[in-house]
Amino acid sequence: MIRRALLAALAAAVLGACSGPPIGGVYALSGAAAGDEGLRVASLAKDGQLLVSFSLADGLTRELRQAIDSGLPATITYVVELRRPTALWFDGTVASATVTATVRFDNLTRQHQLSRTIDGRGEEPRVTEDEEEVRRWLTEFDRLPLFNTAQLEPNMVYYVKVRAHARPRVSGGLFFWPWGRGGKTGFAPRFTYLGDDRG
Amino acid sequence: MLTLRDVPPPTRRPAVRPRGRRPFRDNPLQILAVIGLLAAALGVALAFSGSWRYSPDFLTEFVLYALSVADLTMILALVFVLARNIIKMMVERRRGLPIARFRSKLVGALLGMTLVPAVLVLLVGSELIRSNVDRWFNAPMEEIVASANRMASDYYSERQLLTSGTAARLSRALGAMPFPEGDPVAVRDVIQPEVAQQRVSMVEVYRVARGRSGPPVVSSVVDVAVPSLPREYNRASADRLAERVAAGSREAHGPEPLGGGGQLLRAAEPIRARDGTLAGVVVASDFLTGEMAARSRRMTDAYEAYNQLKVLRNPLLGVYLSFFLMVTLMILVSATWMGLYLAARITRPVQRLAAAARAIGAGHLDQRLEPETSDEFGSLVEAFNTMAAELSASRQNLERSARTLERQHQEVEARRRYIQTILDRITTGVISLDADDRVSTVNTAAARLLGVEGDQAGLPVGELLGRPDLEPLAKLIAGARPGDADKPAQEVSLAREGRELDLAVAMATLHGQGGAIEGRLIVFDDITPLIRAQKVAAWREVARRLAHEIKNPLTPIQLCAERLARHFQGAPPPTRELVAECTRTIVGEVESLKGLVDEFSQFARMPAPRRIPTALPPLLADTLGLYVGLFRDVTIETRFPADLPPVRVDPEQIRRVVINLVDNAIEAMDRRGRVVLEVQHAAAERIVRLIVADNGPGIPEGEREKLFLPYYSTKRRGSGLGLAIVRRIVAEHGGTIEVTSNAPRGTRFTIDLPA
Repeated sequence: MIRRALLAALAAAVLGACSGPPIGGVYALSGAAAGDEGLRVASLAKDGQLLVSFSLADGLTRELRQAIDSGLPATITYVVELRRPTALWFDGTVASATVTATVRFDNLTRQHQLSRTIDGRGEEPRVTEDEEEVRRWLTEFDRLPLFNTAQLEPNMVYYVKVRAHARPRVSGGLFFWPWGRGGKTGFAPRFTYLGDDRG
Repeated sequence: MLTLRDVPPPTRRPAVRPRGRRPFRDNPLQILAVIGLLAAALGVALAFSGSWRYSPDFLTEFVLYALSVADLTMILALVFVLARNIIKMMVERRRGLPIARFRSKLVGALLGMTLVPAVLVLLVGSELIRSNVDRWFNAPMEEIVASANRMASDYYSERQLLTSGTAARLSRALGAMPFPEGDPVAVRDVIQPEVAQQRVSMVEVYRVARGRSGPPVVSSVVDVAVPSLPREYNRASADRLAERVAAGSREAHGPEPLGGGGQLLRAAEPIRARDGTLAGVVVASDFLTGEMAARSRRMTDAYEAYNQLKVLRNPLLGVYLSFFLMVTLMILVSATWMGLYLAARITRPVQRLAAAARAIGAGHLDQRLEPETSDEFGSLVEAFNTMAAELSASRQNLERSARTLERQHQEVEARRRYIQTILDRITTGVISLDADDRVSTVNTAAARLLGVEGDQAGLPVGELLGRPDLEPLAKLIAGARPGDADKPAQEVSLAREGRELDLAVAMATLHGQGGAIEGRLIVFDDITPLIRAQKVAAWREVARRLAHEIKNPLTPIQLCAERLARHFQGAPPPTRELVAECTRTIVGEVESLKGLVDEFSQFARMPAPRRIPTALPPLLADTLGLYVGLFRDVTIETRFPADLPPVRVDPEQIRRVVINLVDNAIEAMDRRGRVVLEVQHAAAERIVRLIVADNGPGIPEGEREKLFLPYYSTKRRGSGLGLAIVRRIVAEHGGTIEVTSNAPRGTRFTIDLPA
């Protein structure tokens, strides 16, 4: 019995690792789903672009807030992957993009300097004193045109996976465990790409 | 049993010495190099330690990671080394190696001596570090740096608020004017008092022009600055601020650093016309001197550094503790390695000695060890090599002695085989007895002559000669004394299988070292032919003398008898008849005596045979032809092989032999029966066998040997010389004659002639 239970758990783990996101959104053009509770991801194909929206609830943790208040530059890095599920094997990555959001607080002027990059390309930096705006700046991203739909094949199933991790890593124990990244992962539901401008 | 030949031959074995590259533990240079590298790595780590507090990513992503990996690696190394040595120790103990216990004790002692203080130092040191780090963040210090930062920040905020207020007031004043169409001089007149009263250091007024599309365009209308304002300020920053405000941004203020450490605190306000439309932007700037800005920045930096330390408290503590743990683990690993190193340094020479001793025990006496050190182990190795050399020399001497013994043994063995061959081949019987008169050896001739088994070692001689026919010999041996060994040979006659066997027996005493009697040697020869020849020679001499002495008077006797007969022919008839009868009797007996004398003469003067290759079947057939028609009731049957080779014989003498034997057979059968003459060829024995057999009454066994003696006859008539002549002819042809019973009845004469 124990051996059978172990085999079943192993099979479930392998299938889970291979299948990726939940399958509830099959044949839907867009939708939203969550891997970790805090990271919500949605994708939308429109005007030749795959627009990705994601938000990291509770991303601005107390430890990160303390780091920001101490004047340390804080960065949350989002690795967005467009993936195609593969049966009985690991899903393939079609394209990926890296989005970073950085904030640095000046305790003298009490201003937050905000900056973002998408695949290394920087946006216009901003300065604000509004902490809510800082939170939104770090954790909410709406309809980022990260991928071109020309990379997609019609009638194929895709999904978007987002992994987020914050730096500096100020939480955790006294010792560093190299295999624990401390990040969060979210998935957009699978969708079937039907062709250009169909969404 | 182990003999010298069982010992494996010595093979040249090289001295046990380390080959190839020296192991790491035996190379002081390599050890020093590794220690140097570790020290350099530690130095580099300490040199980079100053950057930790300013680079949290470096701290958390590199230093902490590297230390954690180093700790984990050393823990694994320590576990591996300990587990390996524990397993190795168990295996060696199971094999019964005496070194394993000592090595495990040494390693355990060193590890135990190091483990307890190292763990204690780790625990105490960790707690000390933790308490020290906690002491960094005490309440007074936090309050001081927070207050200082608050003062600097409040000062900045106040100056910023004043500047913003000035900009707002000027914005309202300019909005009340016909702006932007108004006279720039009038605008300057509005802003000049603010600058002159040092409320702000500079005021810049922009006109906003709106296009049909795109962002609004700002252009400078007038600017007024205090004379003390440094000229190196950046006008473009004020332009950008005006553009942002004109575009509706709420970011209407901010600092601008200047050269020399000073800063401009800028604030912008939109100028709205009376109808509410955006007409322009006023930017007011307040100058902070470099000293003031730097002092404020230092206070803020101190506050931020303190807070960053507080935020990075756990990673920093982790770095220190990881480093401390790493040092502790290094001490433990070093202690373990040192224990193994010392154990290896001590036990390796012992193990080499043990291995070399085992090799010597296995017979490799040329095993040597190369001394690696000049200490007590070196002396021990030298002593071992000396012992091995002496053992090798002793072994060589022993081998030389063994070879000598082997050679002598081979010589003795060759001599023994030589003597054994002689004993096996000679016709003289030899029996050796031990001191207890038990049989040691019986040679082939003795076994054949006595009719006993040759393999009778250990049997008492009385049992060996226990048969009745051997009793005379047993009595002779039993009655002999040690002194009888020097006596000449004694003759003993034995009756074996109906034949008389004459032996000349001589005895010798075997003496061992010190003259002790170890046994006796009984040597006997078959002198039967010699005795027989002596008898024949004697009889021939008798025959010759008889023939000579008897034949001479026979003729006068015969003549006298014939003369008496003639003389009494004229006498009266009775007398004449008596005389005639007596004279006839005398003449007849004389004739008979003459015949007898002739046979004696022939026996005495029988010539040597003239042997020529002769085909026996024709000779025998021709001889048997003499009997054709003579005896009606006698049948003579011949059996001749087809491929009988010629035989070198004297035809006349062989003819006489056959006639004698056939005559005897016919007489024995009382001229009634069957005579078989058979010839056989035994090619393997290289003899031709002539057999004359009859079915007569046969001859008793006790009389068979006497048949061949001269003048022995069972017939009413005859000289008794026939079979004696036959034996002599056969003997002179190199053959033998034997008489046995014929099956189912009768007598069988067998003559073996060399082919």
